[in-house]
Amino acid sequence: MPRAVEQEAHAGVVLRVDSLSKRYAENGPPALSDVAFEVRRGELLAVVGPSGCGKTTLLRIVCGLTSASAGTVFLDARPVLRPPREIAVVFQDYSRSLFPWLNVVRNVMFPLRRAQASRAERLATAEAALEELGLRGVARKYPWQLSGGMQQRVAIARALVSRPEILLLDEPFASVDALTRAELQDVLLRVHGEHRRVTIVHVTHDIDEAAYLADRVLVMTPAPGRVVRLVDVELPRPRAQTATRSSDRFLAVRNEIQEAITEQQALQRGGERQ
Amino acid sequence: MTASAARAARPLLGAAVFLAVLGLWQAEARRHPSYLFPAASAVLERASHVWPTSEFLSDVVSSLERLGAGYVIGAGVGVALGLVLGSSLGLRRLLEPLTELLRATPAISIVPAAIVLFGLGEAMHVAVIAFAVCFPVLVNTVEGVRAVSPEVRDTAAMLQVGPVERAVRIHLPAALPQIFAGLRIALSAAVILLVISEFVGAGDGVGHYITFQQSQFNTEEVYGGILFLGLLGYVLNRLFLVVERRVLAWHYGAVGESGR
Repeated sequence: MPRAVEQEAHAGVVLRVDSLSKRYAENGPPALSDVAFEVRRGELLAVVGPSGCGKTTLLRIVCGLTSASAGTVFLDARPVLRPPREIAVVFQDYSRSLFPWLNVVRNVMFPLRRAQASRAERLATAEAALEELGLRGVARKYPWQLSGGMQQRVAIARALVSRPEILLLDEPFASVDALTRAELQDVLLRVHGEHRRVTIVHVTHDIDEAAYLADRVLVMTPAPGRVVRLVDVELPRPRAQTATRSSDRFLAVRNEIQEAITEQQALQRGGERQ
Repeated sequence: MTASAARAARPLLGAAVFLAVLGLWQAEARRHPSYLFPAASAVLERASHVWPTSEFLSDVVSSLERLGAGYVIGAGVGVALGLVLGSSLGLRRLLEPLTELLRATPAISIVPAAIVLFGLGEAMHVAVIAFAVCFPVLVNTVEGVRAVSPEVRDTAAMLQVGPVERAVRIHLPAALPQIFAGLRIALSAAVILLVISEFVGAGDGVGHYITFQQSQFNTEEVYGGILFLGLLGYVLNRLFLVVERRVLAWHYGAVGESGR
């Protein structure tokens, strides 16, 4: 075993992003410039930044849907070249990522289609996953019959049903109302607490959401998209909407994130003026 | 009259217009009695005797067999080819000039060539019907596959869906609403080609029945045959809608009734 790999296994690094750059056009502006970070096994890492900072590009490269122009993503020390089965993704647009021709439980069963299990067993597994996300009595409904928040729960259940090592979430709560959003945040925290083995990378433009959910927050800024700061949240778990959000530490974390972004924007404006 | 009463009266009004036209036909035919222009009552009277006979029923069965075989083959080829072309830009570019030309060719125009190629047997009828069915289905399947949302494509990629499974389990159901639109156009095209091909080259079938009766100057039977084909087309279309409603229940739910 090479030394670097041994060290990673020791440090519990599940995902390593190594000097990643991406240009969509040959001579166009870089969407990502030299992005590097590590994700520890079992942690909840939030990636936060204003729109256009390359968050979604980064997530697509990490899960193997888009190729990088330079740099590599390592999953358990193996380079990611195509979508790996250890990674599950929940996209922002739940209404289009669920298969509309399948009912809820068939959507959730889909990732299990090659599992060494009978249909009854797969059905039971899918129903348990739905139950875990607080979805009862909707197994035979079609996605369009559910509210946005419930559809996104189904999408999360489908992502978790095959027990992935890493769950990637791309602005998963951006299309639901504020109350549903808070509810889904707590669902995610509960799921993460119950499956200590699942590592979550959560992409969001909402600073408060990042601070509330994450163990660590990766702050990105645009033009070119890059990492400007890594913030240790260090808020106690379990977290609660009112208690956590009113704590001094929460305010300190969200201010640190905000400052990192504002600083960078000021620097860029200064640069443009010269 | 209130708006709701007007709405309720609309189907009644439609039936009244239908009966009025029938009455007009009847009255005109009575005013100018001629075997060239039989009265509606005479046509119906004759039909009630002819339609239950085993000769006429065997014509119907022959026609339905040709229609069914041609429709199934044409739809199968159209969907299969559409799934392949829909997911491959390269193949689409390669084959598009050919499929565009064949699609623009009036299917009726191939009937004489089909007679030369296949003779006057069943194969000729089935081939021309399949040809007419294939292209609307093919074009709609390609469009349906191309319209599959990027989110669905990404989700399928993350769930390790391979090319064949993608075609069958993702693209096919996702394109089904468009495929059904093509199948419906293809159904009326299939009936047209069935009748035309039976006019020019068949020993039986409802199309042959009409031309044969015409050669015998049995105008009542000619009109009866036309009426039968009209009813057949209507019934097939209704059956099609019933099937479509069942198969696409998920789709009509999602887009709402206004999507129809």
